[in-house]
Amino acid sequence: MTDPISQRGPVSRRDVFRYGLGASALIALGPLLPVTSGATTTTARKGGSLAQRSHATPTRGGTLKFARSVAPTTLDPANTIIAGDIYTLDKIFEPLYVTSPKGQLTPWLATGYKASTNNKTLTFSLRPGVKFSDGSPLTAADVVFSINRARKDSAGPLSFLDYAITSLEAKGTSTVVVQLSTPWAPIISDISVFANSIIPANFGGKTEAEFFKSPVGTGPFTLSSFTPDATSLTLKANKHYWQAGKPYLDSVEFLYVDNDNQRVLQIEGGQVNIIDTVPPAEVASLKGNSGVVLEQFPAWEVDLLVLNEKLPQFADRHVRRAITYAINRPALVHAANFGTGEPGGSFFPPSLEYYSAKTPVLEYSLSKAKAELAQSKYPKGFATKILVDSGNQKFVTFAQIIKSQLQPLGIDVTITGLDHSAFESTFQKFDYEMFIDYAINDISDPDEMASFELNFKDGGSSSYWSSYNNPAVTALVNSAEAEFNPTKRAALYAQIQSMVAEDAPFVPLDYPPYIYATSKSVQGFAVNPGGAYRLEDVWLT
Amino acid sequence: MTRYITWRLASAVLVVFGVSVVTFLFLHLEPGSAARSLLGEHATARSIAALQKRWGLNASLPSQFVRYMSALFHGNLGTSYIYQVPTSQLIGARIGLTASLVGLASLAAVVMTVPLAAIAASRQDKVADHAIRGFTVFGLGMPSFWFGIILIEIFSVHLHLLPVGGVGSGFGGYLESLILPAITAAIGIVPILVRSLRVGMIEILDAEFVATARAKGLKEPFVLISIVARNAVVPTVTFLGLNIAYLIGSTVIVEQVFNLNGLGSLLLSSILNRDFPVVQGVTIVLGASVVLINLVTDLVAARLDPRIRLR
Repeated sequence: MTDPISQRGPVSRRDVFRYGLGASALIALGPLLPVTSGATTTTARKGGSLAQRSHATPTRGGTLKFARSVAPTTLDPANTIIAGDIYTLDKIFEPLYVTSPKGQLTPWLATGYKASTNNKTLTFSLRPGVKFSDGSPLTAADVVFSINRARKDSAGPLSFLDYAITSLEAKGTSTVVVQLSTPWAPIISDISVFANSIIPANFGGKTEAEFFKSPVGTGPFTLSSFTPDATSLTLKANKHYWQAGKPYLDSVEFLYVDNDNQRVLQIEGGQVNIIDTVPPAEVASLKGNSGVVLEQFPAWEVDLLVLNEKLPQFADRHVRRAITYAINRPALVHAANFGTGEPGGSFFPPSLEYYSAKTPVLEYSLSKAKAELAQSKYPKGFATKILVDSGNQKFVTFAQIIKSQLQPLGIDVTITGLDHSAFESTFQKFDYEMFIDYAINDISDPDEMASFELNFKDGGSSSYWSSYNNPAVTALVNSAEAEFNPTKRAALYAQIQSMVAEDAPFVPLDYPPYIYATSKSVQGFAVNPGGAYRLEDVWLT
Repeated sequence: MTRYITWRLASAVLVVFGVSVVTFLFLHLEPGSAARSLLGEHATARSIAALQKRWGLNASLPSQFVRYMSALFHGNLGTSYIYQVPTSQLIGARIGLTASLVGLASLAAVVMTVPLAAIAASRQDKVADHAIRGFTVFGLGMPSFWFGIILIEIFSVHLHLLPVGGVGSGFGGYLESLILPAITAAIGIVPILVRSLRVGMIEILDAEFVATARAKGLKEPFVLISIVARNAVVPTVTFLGLNIAYLIGSTVIVEQVFNLNGLGSLLLSSILNRDFPVVQGVTIVLGASVVLINLVTDLVAARLDPRIRLR
């Protein structure tokens, strides 16, 4: 659930994937996927299968050329939400925990933690032998400095994630004690966010500006130089990296190629090894290319049709339910995603922890839609508008199909397209009737998505700008935040998903995966459901 | 002559001033905010307001305009919101690439135009003429981005002769990466140039001094190259000069298709990010270069043809 814009400037993590959505494999496997699945789908692979490739012995050396749709503007982890920044700086800096490609929290610079009985004090033990790229050792003081810096920076876009932390204290060189204001179940997820990455205390004696020009971290790679508007950025292997023998690559060259078509041509022409954000329209042709491997990874992401409850027609629960029934989501996904992608059901994506497959989804049924509308104050329908980001072809197609699907109800839709920046500021001023956008979870814990989309008062977005306000749902969201028992938490989130499906404040349209294309020489590449990829395990044949 | 140049330069300043006023107004009427782009959806109203204040966007539109124009008269194009570096630095880093692209595209346009126009003119109403005129109609209707993609598919993806996109290293790599973009940009103006030059050449072919040359028994190739083409240079230069403005505009698309990090792509990304100082800076630089190129064209035409009087 981060932010905006395309092209070479600031682009949110979501924007990286705006056009790269859809997975035919997921359509077939969707109902079979386990609740917390983050399993890589590999049906699109040609030639060497994942299994074959993973069993090969890693080869050392080489430069990975990676064409991405976004460029970095800053490498300060605490002060960015932009995809180009995040997926560059997370190769240089590391947090105490990370999320694995399967979506699981994994101890990283910490080896583990102990919680007090009241769950308000957490004691982290740091991994022994970790060094920064300048050779100096990682200490507890560095951890305290870094997380304090991130949480106290009110302008930091993700500093709200640290809100439950009241203090941090270094005990010796390898223990950190964290005090919480309240028992807070998502805390380890929050600690794992890139904004809480560890940098040397007091910037290793440099000024802040100097430090981020030539940053020092514990990550697998270091930076040779950084020019904010350059077209490429090169990372070199960190000789002091704590995972012995890694990274396998000598260097990584990130190239900024914002044009979708150029990226596809560059992988087809063999000019680069990996491209991100493969447009769904190109999936079929890339599958037919024997030199290219297409990779799809499940995402903590859902595309939503949001209904403005400040308007009387959408404040009417029957109208919202009628619209949900009337939208044929499998048809939508088939038409707009070129056969890739999974139709929406619950507002939690299936890859997210505590997703409930038993959610009573209002499946497509025109007769139920008509019956529902007949019970509303608008039995004969009404005229309304859908606002879309005109640069997002998939959402424009979604809007056109939804317009035709609402026609039988007498709901007459006009589509309004605005460029991304204008689109976003318009719906955030509630100056819309319906809009289509995507929501992602930044961390492995579903609380972020639940509170951002459902907690009208404190969630930060008036329930994703829908103004949906159900106090019973908000109370459940708050209870889940303080619940440490996984079974009880699962029950709470199942109940929340069920109530939201019945209330229909927004229509979950589809669950798009991340789509990457690599050359056949690339081994060991994986993306976690948050969209992050670690490169210390990647090698070239 | 000096008076003429002074007068033209003065009017150029007025044109650039007009361009900056219009750009400023259009940009500020458009909804969207760089602050929101930078801070993300979780940004609070307070943090957005703080950033707007730091950039001076909380002041009234007229006072923002006065501040902007006075900075401009001091040669200051402002600082990019997104990259936090001076706009002039961003433009300086990219202007060379765009200038090379426009230069090479102009060269490619001339190399394609002159022979085609000469053949069409000398074979008036014959098969070759019809074929060339047919090609120009096709060329006029063809979008340049599509032509660029076709060139990439053939020469880069299949034949591996030239890079798909981006800028290569070293002088050779640099030139190599500009070949396809230059041809793509040139194709946008070649049809117009061919048609104009063809008409110019036909007029010259019918002129009395050409008839005299032929009557003297001079061979046809000599007549075409030495007499007709020489006289046709002036209209070509004039048409080329006028069309360079179009060429500069088309770099926005061509740079996108070939992933070139020039002024065109900077302009596009800055518009989408609402990075006002950069949009204004690039627009002024592009506007000024169009005006200057037109002036240079007039001066060159006057130099080539003494009959042209500059007033």
